[in-house]
Amino acid sequence: MSELSADGVSVAFAGLKALSEVSLKVSSGQILGLIGPNGAGKTTLVNVLTGFQAPTSGAVLLDGASLTGAEAHEVRRRGIARTFQGGRLFRDLPVIDNLEVTGLGLGLSRAAAIREAEEMLDWIGIASLADRIAGTLPYTDERRVAIGRALMRQPKFLLLDEPAAGMSAQEANDLSDLIRRIARERDCGVLLIEHNVGLVLGVCDHIVVLDSGAVIETGPPAAIRASETVRHAYMGTAADTDLPVQEALV
Amino acid sequence: MRQTSSLTILRRTVSTPVILILLLVAFAILSWAVGSRPFNQTVIDILVQVTLVTGLYIFIGNSGVISFGHAAFACLGGYVIAWTTIKPMMKKNAMPGLPDWLMSMEIGWWAAAALAALWAALWAGIFGAILMRLSGIAASIATFAMLAMINAIYSNWSGVTGGTSSIVGIPIIRSVWPYLAVASLAVIIAWAYSISRHGLILRAARDEPTAARASGVDIPRARLIAFVLSGAVMGAGGAMLALSIGVVTPNTFYLGLTFTTLSMLVVGGMGSLSGAVLGVLILSSLIQVLRWLEAGVQIGTSTFALPGGVQEIGLGVVMILILMFRPTGIMGNRELKFPWRR
Repeated sequence: MSELSADGVSVAFAGLKALSEVSLKVSSGQILGLIGPNGAGKTTLVNVLTGFQAPTSGAVLLDGASLTGAEAHEVRRRGIARTFQGGRLFRDLPVIDNLEVTGLGLGLSRAAAIREAEEMLDWIGIASLADRIAGTLPYTDERRVAIGRALMRQPKFLLLDEPAAGMSAQEANDLSDLIRRIARERDCGVLLIEHNVGLVLGVCDHIVVLDSGAVIETGPPAAIRASETVRHAYMGTAADTDLPVQEALV
Repeated sequence: MRQTSSLTILRRTVSTPVILILLLVAFAILSWAVGSRPFNQTVIDILVQVTLVTGLYIFIGNSGVISFGHAAFACLGGYVIAWTTIKPMMKKNAMPGLPDWLMSMEIGWWAAAALAALWAALWAGIFGAILMRLSGIAASIATFAMLAMINAIYSNWSGVTGGTSSIVGIPIIRSVWPYLAVASLAVIIAWAYSISRHGLILRAARDEPTAARASGVDIPRARLIAFVLSGAVMGAGGAMLALSIGVVTPNTFYLGLTFTTLSMLVVGGMGSLSGAVLGVLILSSLIQVLRWLEAGVQIGTSTFALPGGVQEIGLGVVMILILMFRPTGIMGNRELKFPWRR
């Protein structure tokens, strides 16, 4: 049983506070949702948790040991993987090589990395895409390849940054199934950042709501659904066109 | 069913070095068959350039970081040849400050070239440990600073390098085969590196550095491996250059060499080993033709000659045209392959 936590994390860019005193924790097999309006600091928090952004103050802990100040590649090697908004696949490489490179980065030989990459594509159900050049993939497949790449070498935690953006209802449904399988079958802790609030309410065990860099609410989906504070945070922004909160909260 | 053994990777990519080496062998045989002294020297020049540009490709091609400093490694290699192959009697006059063991050393060309590669690799490791933490234009400018530093040291450390004056007395090798052997070895090393896990990792980091870091890739370390390897090949290239002309000065390995090797790589295609080799063959041929025209061509009763300097101008024009119309070079990211292989 592992636990990843942010402990009073603050980040300031040129005096502007992006995050103030944010704390949260995810444990093995748990799916934690992170929601909040645009600019709430969700991606900044993921960057802090994965070593892409050093916090101004506060700490990141993995099983009690500090990860603060570790480089991104070291964080990944210690078992914390992530995906990016917009995929960031190695566009000129075939899908299989996208996964292989991650295996290599984590210390496998080429043959062993290819073997694990094939097993992973199989597990996700996209083995048929193995030889496609990553840059030619449609949106949905791109996301699934990115998830497969992040799952190489069995990370303890997976941080998904808006994996459902631009997906249809059916595709988002398939994604929910995949996220559940990642948590249950691989005993991986998942932190899910998503604008599709319906998806988050449906798949997460626990949810943290961020607004203007601070945690404004935490709790199980039912509590979040009923929360006046959350409703107010969303309604108070101009973002209700791309945030189907009203429908999602019904 | 996909095949996953390392043998498959080998078989899928081996045609590239085979084609390139066959191309070099063809040039060597041509010069041996023609038997003319100037042509022989031209082919030797080309093979030396192939070694140098291949060395440059190992770093620039795989990392995507342009280095303006690799001529420094050729300089380090070239002077190792001067230190270890010139007769002790002559060394005493030109480089009186050499330590006794080096003063009395006189070894064969291949051992000297191997030492040259090691010496260059050592310094690539030392400089690289600092420079590889930089990215983009900052890294490029820092490599240029490294070149200027090494040039300044070799120009001023008179006792050991003879300062800016020419060091003569290097036993010249006039046979084309040693140059062919070293150039072929350089091509094999570059190919082996590019299909190795280190090469694949570095190319991925070149194309998408953020995702590479999130994939556990230590980018400075991946770059350093390429830098040291390319420094070693460059050192061997500098050694062969010294052995082909018999003279070294610090300026043999300075801005002129930086410009020609970089333009050959740019014209051929920075992301491709085949491009590196083809760039040398194409630009060397162009340089040769311009040299003939500069020397004057007899047409009927009149002699037609281009003014001096046209050679450098021609090289610059070709480089600019390629950058305008084919910015990734002649080969882009592709490699030459036998048509029946994928």
